Amino acid sequence: MSMAVVTWQRLNVVGKILAIAVPVLIALGLVTVGVAILAGPFAIEFVGDNVPLLRFVAAIGAVLLLTIPTAFVVIFMELKVIARMNLRVGPDRVGPYGTAMSVVHGLKFLSKEDFAPLGVDLQVFTIAPVVVFVGSVMTFLVIPFAPGLFGLDMNVGVLYLFAMGGLTVVGLLMAGWASFNKYSLLGGLRSAAQMVSYEIPLTLSLVGVVLLAGTMSLNQMVLAQSGSIADWYVWQQPLAFVIFIIAGIAEANRSPFDLTEADQEIVAGFATEYSGMRFGFFFFAEYVNVFVVSALIVTFFLGGWTAPFDWPFPVAVAIDPLAWGVGSLVAILALPVVGTLVLAAPFWLSSRITTLQALVIGFILFNVVAIGLVLGWAFVSLDWVSGLFWFFAKSYVFVFFFVWLRGSLPRVRIDQLMGFAWKWLLPAALLNIFVTAAAIVIVNR
Amino acid sequence: MTERAHRPHPSLDDPSIAIEDVLRESIVDAVPVARTEREAEFYTLGDGEMLLNMGPQHPSTHGVLRVVLKLDGERVVDIDPVLGYLHRGVEKLCENADWHQAICYTDPLEYVASLFCEWAPVMAFEKLADVEVPRRAEYIRVLTGELNRIASHALFMGWFALDLGGLTPILWSFIERDEMMDMLAAVTGQKLLFNYFRIGGVNGDINHEFMSRLGDWMSRAGAQIEANQGLLNENEILVRRARGMGVLDGETAMRMAVTGPNIRASGVPFDIRRAHPYSVYPELEFDIPTRQEGDSLARYLLRADEVKQSLRIIDQCLHQMPDGPVMASVPRLIRPRPGRAWAAVEGPRGMYGTYAISDGTDQPFRMRIHDPSFVHLQLVSLLTPGNLIADTMAIMASLDPVMGGVDK
Repeated sequence: MSMAVVTWQRLNVVGKILAIAVPVLIALGLVTVGVAILAGPFAIEFVGDNVPLLRFVAAIGAVLLLTIPTAFVVIFMELKVIARMNLRVGPDRVGPYGTAMSVVHGLKFLSKEDFAPLGVDLQVFTIAPVVVFVGSVMTFLVIPFAPGLFGLDMNVGVLYLFAMGGLTVVGLLMAGWASFNKYSLLGGLRSAAQMVSYEIPLTLSLVGVVLLAGTMSLNQMVLAQSGSIADWYVWQQPLAFVIFIIAGIAEANRSPFDLTEADQEIVAGFATEYSGMRFGFFFFAEYVNVFVVSALIVTFFLGGWTAPFDWPFPVAVAIDPLAWGVGSLVAILALPVVGTLVLAAPFWLSSRITTLQALVIGFILFNVVAIGLVLGWAFVSLDWVSGLFWFFAKSYVFVFFFVWLRGSLPRVRIDQLMGFAWKWLLPAALLNIFVTAAAIVIVNR
Repeated sequence: MTERAHRPHPSLDDPSIAIEDVLRESIVDAVPVARTEREAEFYTLGDGEMLLNMGPQHPSTHGVLRVVLKLDGERVVDIDPVLGYLHRGVEKLCENADWHQAICYTDPLEYVASLFCEWAPVMAFEKLADVEVPRRAEYIRVLTGELNRIASHALFMGWFALDLGGLTPILWSFIERDEMMDMLAAVTGQKLLFNYFRIGGVNGDINHEFMSRLGDWMSRAGAQIEANQGLLNENEILVRRARGMGVLDGETAMRMAVTGPNIRASGVPFDIRRAHPYSVYPELEFDIPTRQEGDSLARYLLRADEVKQSLRIIDQCLHQMPDGPVMASVPRLIRPRPGRAWAAVEGPRGMYGTYAISDGTDQPFRMRIHDPSFVHLQLVSLLTPGNLIADTMAIMASLDPVMGGVDK
């Protein structure tokens, strides 16, 4: 045995890790420095030239990443809220109050066999979930989450939304056809009929809003509603608001319009033959869709990220650490220690809590207080933080509404569904357009 | 030596042939060979029609019913129920058990309301063996039976809503049903298949736990049932889906030997408790609710009315119950006189009947069990054609079949 092998064997685990990691990191660092020196000027030039393109790529990455926590939260809400309505407890094993349940669902999908039954049209069968997923995820791109926080300020944002909605239908139809299953076929055909029918009142109900805002860009629409709660379009377009909610539920395939996956009738509709991550894509897309429809309701009718009221008292909380001097900075560094000790003191006085436990409690309390203070400061002084807060607060109210409907209503029948779209929603949407147009003409005269 | 006697499929030897491709070629639309004229007619597809096999594993076929639907788009052209997936040969089993043991074979026939499946054979055996049942035992039978009827109807309402797509009512009704099942478990010792009625009485008197739980429940039952039904009865979607769906007129109902709530929803006030009184029902006051419409909604609402009458009966039973023994003195091994006896009770789904023949030995010579679910399932192919797939569920659920009783 050579000397190197003996030395290697005498190292413990930490030593072995370090012995590998340190040279690798040094090598990587050298390579990075070299590349930066050689390619740095070109890279800076490229970034400077292609800011919009890079912003677009970053936005798409952020949108794809954002869908995951969104779907997890919506799924968790669905599990928990419906459980409470059913007088059940719901998931409570994984994570605190079962909050990690959706994550475990996702891991379960990933760990399942990637199975395609015999007789399916494999190419179409594989692409279909991706099409549905992309169709629902890419709608995120034009939604303004906060002032300046949007993927792309498209001047045809509304049209883009409905184009993406149309993509979902194609995906469901593909899944229904490719599955080689009669239930899937029925589900796919139902989805085609339902979503095509409901897209018409959905689109027409927005014409009034577009007329009022004078633009199809979602960001401009939100800006047009900013001000106070009285500027929201829900007051000027109450009929369109109701039509949009109803048609939106149908568009997102939610109960009571979830005919495409009516498990009492056609087992699971288009998803009957899907399992594992392929089904996971459908599952994911469905819950992302719920959030998207809620977000669109909020964007079009409830002022998007705008606050319903102005912050009642003015606060000047601009922070300029450079002007504070050395003494203040040292005080800030000492704050965690002092805060922890102060918050631990009352617990330390209790005879049943040891010193260590009191310190842990004090540390946790200090973190809670500090994070609360930082968030409060951010909410008051940064408009995109408060914008995000109001946007998500309003959106999740509607997510809750959709879950509530699912917990309490039976499902409508296919002919009632179609009749409702064509006999009631479509004439109402047309009426809304005429009334809005006439009102605009009269007011502007 | 080198040649193998049996050559396996070439795909096993030749790696270039994928077994999937071989199997894919063999997938054809398999149409079963018709054995009867009806099957020949059913399996001949017209233009644009397709067969949809629903069940035996399907979310809404109530156990293991299999129906073959002939569809034209979403519309059901014809329907063919296929039975027998739960067949256990209960009648034959009963012939190989002695008279006491036969009762526990009939128990799981109708697992949703199993007291009634005990009641009918017990009454038939008592007629054969000339056993006089003590009055307290009769009151206990009526009391527990009506409790079981409410439990069954509560479950029906949940299933009906579930088959129409509502998630919540089934869980609410299971809470109520669980309470009743716990009460019955306190007095019978078992929670689902009670095996409580005996030839000549019941197995054990009602106890303190049962009475205290029953008192508790009775004080809030009315309000609770109202609340559960409030979720459904005025629900526009449910009413629109069930009204005018699967209309069964009284004439047809009588011709098809329909009994129970299904015939009363068609306007025929036939109830065995009044038509052929048994047990202590003549001494009790209750109404026979009927409805004229004969559709799914009427069948649903009628069961809600029956729950109220059952509550009345339980109330009277509690007030009128006499003291005394709960079991006549019956020998361990009985040998009834040779003869035959028929007994029928009014269960939550209709008439449960037992026809027993004794040849004088300690075992039944022949036992025939009449189950209402089997009769009602024949209505499915009468009522569903012309409706949509979703209506098949609304109609089938409103007839309330339990597959354990259908397949026996």
